[in-house]
Amino acid sequence: MTASPSASSSLRRAADPDRAGAAVIAVADLHRTFTTGRRRNRRTIEAVRGVTFTVEPGERLAFIGPNGAGKSTSIKMLTGLLRPSAGSARVLGLDPWHQRRALSRRIGTVFGQRSLLWAELSARRSLTTLGAIHGLDRSPVGRRIAELGELLEADDLLDQPVRTLSLGQRMRCELAAALLHRPDLLFLDEPTIGLDLLAKQRFRDVLVRLNASHGTTVFLTSHDVADIEHVAARAVIVNHGTVIHDSPVAALRRNLLTTKRIEVGLARPSTVARARAALGSDIGPVNPLGVAGPDDDGTTPVDGIAIDVDTRHQAIGVVLDRVLQRLAVADVSVTDPPLEAVIGEIYARPATGTDPSPGSAP
Amino acid sequence: MTAATMTTGGGTGSVRDLGAACLRVAQAAAGAARSQPAALVHGGIHYLIVAVAITSLWNRAASGNGGTIVGYQAGALVWYLVATEVTAIAPPLRLIDRFGADVAAGRFELELLRPAPALWIRVAAEIGTSLPRTAVCAGLGCGLALGVGGAPASPAAAALAVPALLLGVALTIVAQHLLAAASFWLRDSRASWFLYQKLQFTLGGLVLPLEVLPGDLGQVARLTPFAAMSYAPGRLASGHLEAWWLLIQVAWLAALGLVTARVFAAGERHLGDGGEP
Repeated sequence: MTASPSASSSLRRAADPDRAGAAVIAVADLHRTFTTGRRRNRRTIEAVRGVTFTVEPGERLAFIGPNGAGKSTSIKMLTGLLRPSAGSARVLGLDPWHQRRALSRRIGTVFGQRSLLWAELSARRSLTTLGAIHGLDRSPVGRRIAELGELLEADDLLDQPVRTLSLGQRMRCELAAALLHRPDLLFLDEPTIGLDLLAKQRFRDVLVRLNASHGTTVFLTSHDVADIEHVAARAVIVNHGTVIHDSPVAALRRNLLTTKRIEVGLARPSTVARARAALGSDIGPVNPLGVAGPDDDGTTPVDGIAIDVDTRHQAIGVVLDRVLQRLAVADVSVTDPPLEAVIGEIYARPATGTDPSPGSAP
Repeated sequence: MTAATMTTGGGTGSVRDLGAACLRVAQAAAGAARSQPAALVHGGIHYLIVAVAITSLWNRAASGNGGTIVGYQAGALVWYLVATEVTAIAPPLRLIDRFGADVAAGRFELELLRPAPALWIRVAAEIGTSLPRTAVCAGLGCGLALGVGGAPASPAAAALAVPALLLGVALTIVAQHLLAAASFWLRDSRASWFLYQKLQFTLGGLVLPLEVLPGDLGQVARLTPFAAMSYAPGRLASGHLEAWWLLIQVAWLAALGLVTARVFAAGERHLGDGGEP
């Protein structure tokens, strides 16, 4: 597993109970096994095996992984819904399993596909009722609801029955419910699932603003890479029940990318075969740019080409020089593959696979 | 404003705070039920159809038996029947099914992330939802009984029937939660709903007074919580000034509440240990 310097120190802190005290979340060697079936068909499944990490106050962390990686099981253990089989977890200094109710006063939770609100009540009534359950006085709760209505641009939604709200509107009210008691830590489990682009963007913006203005720690799981890019500053990737990567989101591309793409706009139409011949056989795959359909023999005239460069074997500058010297170039750009591809590549690694060292890329 | 200044008595840690939270939940649920008059009218019509059918049957039976059946005058029998039917029709229907669906879909799990026991918040919400329906059904029942059976034989006993009805409805809701807790261990606990219905029907004296049951069965039925749910308010409404039924109801409410809380705690631990329903 690779880890940035800050992530490495956070791992050391998680393993050291004294130093873990200041962390918002300190998880050390967390395990969870499930037993299914009876007698001869009995099977033990290790959903989480040895997860270790810490989260510092004010961090925005994406806890991501493919389906079945152990994310939900980990979140359930961190919120006190599930008892760990082994290992330890401290959230805001509390043991989630033994102090679940005390913890619930200090965390907020948003689950994209499940609601914390009462469908038959108006959003405002739902929120005041939740306030009563949290032991909050009526008038400060009223002020807090007004404040959240403004922050989430949900003023006009508050007096509608929850069951009549659209998904995007309901999610804003769900977030208001999670923030009502001013939690120090917000758990968000796929909060943007099913939302349209605009609603997603609005939701992400609120999370970032909230983190900046109140220092609320954000713990996010999502399959939407845009959530991770826009909200999270750090990504912990789990797969096969263990943490396989932990680094700042910005470093994900930098440290893990082994390919770059050079996109070349040609000054006059040419063919891929001619471009390949001009660039030399040691250049990476050359493909037509913006041509729909196959071009197996590379003889179709094209306006542009794309070259995928494996940066472990070839310096990007060398390839770029050759492109500029040997082709009639109208336009050129160098791009990274989308973050989605990077994360997909990490997910695809086998259970025992490890990330390449951060310094291995040329 | 900080969280500390917003909190009263450290959240819902104390019984007083839990009581206040439950009261607010019940108020909100009652308000939501009141805001749906069509549903109240529907519930009222449902109640009237059942009450009119049953009272007509028993009136015919009583008139063929010299105007009295198992010690009940025809008029008293009408008051008995309209009161017991309130405890069957006013509480939310299919509570056991709905709870099972919530456990299976993981919705109940989220309620555990609140700082108050999920069981009592649910019970409070169901009681709140039932109150307007109870008022509508009881009002219609009074009108029917006054019209068909005349004034109550004992106004004092009839007055005691009002708290007995409320306690009966509360008992019904707690008892259904106890059976619903089977959902923590069973994937499909719908059979519990049918079992509950049949037990309330027979041991609760819903359609026929317990005195009609053969041999010692009536005596045995009186010792069950089902009698405290339905028979007790019926007995009081029919003119029997037996105030001790209220004490029995309170005792059953406390006992069932305690057992249900224990079973829910065990169920919540089962979920937390990764056990599947």
